[in-house]
Amino acid sequence: MNKTVIIIITFGLLIGLGIIFLGRPSTNNKTTINNSSVASSVENTEIRDGIQYVTINVKGGYSPKVSIAKAGIPTKLIMKTNGTYDCSASLVIRSISYRKILQKSGEEIIDLGTPKAGIPIRGVCGMGMYSFQINFQ
Amino acid sequence: MDNQEKNKKYILHVSGTHCASCKILIEDILNEQNFIEKARVNLKKEMVEIETNDNMTAEEIINILNNKIETNGYTLSVEKIIVEKKSNNVLWKAIPIGLVFLFLFFLLQKSGILNLGIGGETTPVTSFIIGIIASLSSCLAIVGGLVLSLSAKITQNNNGSNKKPFILFHIGRLFGFAILGGILGLIGKAIEINFIFSAILGLIASSVMIMLGLNLLGVFTKSKITLPSNIFSFFRKVEHDSWAPLLIGLGTFFLPCGFTQSMQIAALSSGTFASGFLIMFSFALGTLPVLALLSFGSVSFAHSKYAPLFFKSTGVVVFGLGMFALLSGLAGVGIINPLFNI
Repeated sequence: MNKTVIIIITFGLLIGLGIIFLGRPSTNNKTTINNSSVASSVENTEIRDGIQYVTINVKGGYSPKVSIAKAGIPTKLIMKTNGTYDCSASLVIRSISYRKILQKSGEEIIDLGTPKAGIPIRGVCGMGMYSFQINFQ
Repeated sequence: MDNQEKNKKYILHVSGTHCASCKILIEDILNEQNFIEKARVNLKKEMVEIETNDNMTAEEIINILNNKIETNGYTLSVEKIIVEKKSNNVLWKAIPIGLVFLFLFFLLQKSGILNLGIGGETTPVTSFIIGIIASLSSCLAIVGGLVLSLSAKITQNNNGSNKKPFILFHIGRLFGFAILGGILGLIGKAIEINFIFSAILGLIASSVMIMLGLNLLGVFTKSKITLPSNIFSFFRKVEHDSWAPLLIGLGTFFLPCGFTQSMQIAALSSGTFASGFLIMFSFALGTLPVLALLSFGSVSFAHSKYAPLFFKSTGVVVFGLGMFALLSGLAGVGIINPLFNI
């Protein structure tokens, strides 16, 4: 095969891998096609009896990947699993020293205390390839 | 003194040396020939120094010796064979081939096809299906990458079609999973696989993959990455010992993989030895087809004419998977922030 062709293919593949990993085009698409990505990051928080609940779906990763919540209120995290066997079930939230392999289906409620503004809480899965973040404002 | 005067010294070039063991192997074969008094291999310079008591010319000696060592993949020559260009061409082909596989693999992860919901009770049948999914998932980056790199390296070292270490590895994995699963079922909720322990094991595995990937690629032909001698003796053990491959197979139980961990929890809560045994056995059985394809596939590729291309492409794939596993593993233990989200 011609060397130039090989180089072009190589660069094409590298760009493809870059898109998969950094995922910018795909997240952009989501926000432009349906604004639900932005909306859901608001919808996934709910305040009941003075406690803020942030709900995150756990299956093949975490969704939403970025949530926005209010700071200064006692906050609990609801991790929803539904037939989840992959890495996202093995949850690590380092800032509160939380480590657990979630039940394959169900809800796990995790107390986050009263988060301060500007200090995000980040969770990763055991192997580290899935993560989510909650920003407090 | 008399003897030394009769002896002729030749310095020949040798090509095909890819490992520290090659020195020993070549010297052993050459010293077996009765017309050779002494043979010494210099791996760095890729040269062989031969003392002979025969009156043959260098070409004649090379002809005889090449017949002996060519089956092992080495070639002697008077002039240094310029392989640089040829191997560079192979490398140029291997990079896109390796990248295609990496691309398809990560595309599969991103596509979400693997996120089928499997609800209900964990039965041996569901664990078998989960095993199949796991063997295609990002767990493949660690377990499959390790299997692939070890298989490629071992076949490259061996040059023989020795399938025994791979068969032993799979037996060790199947029954190791089953027995450990049974123990988990028996003990119940009392123990949990230590998170840090498995994370460190994962980091070690990914470093090994990166190193083997670079070694298979042979990018640095000038300062060839020869594996440290203790790792080399480890490979000899894997090749010739029955216990080492069995133990590695068993050790994959502790490698970080979300699916494995979920199944371990299922085995834990199953309550009896028999049920834990069955759950983990069927899970491991589900992962077998892909892993067997990787290990036995490398053996058959290594004996085809595409061997150099196969080793280099494997090097690209293994290096990529190793980097992926290492970076995610570091994020998992909190040393770095997550760089990506598959």
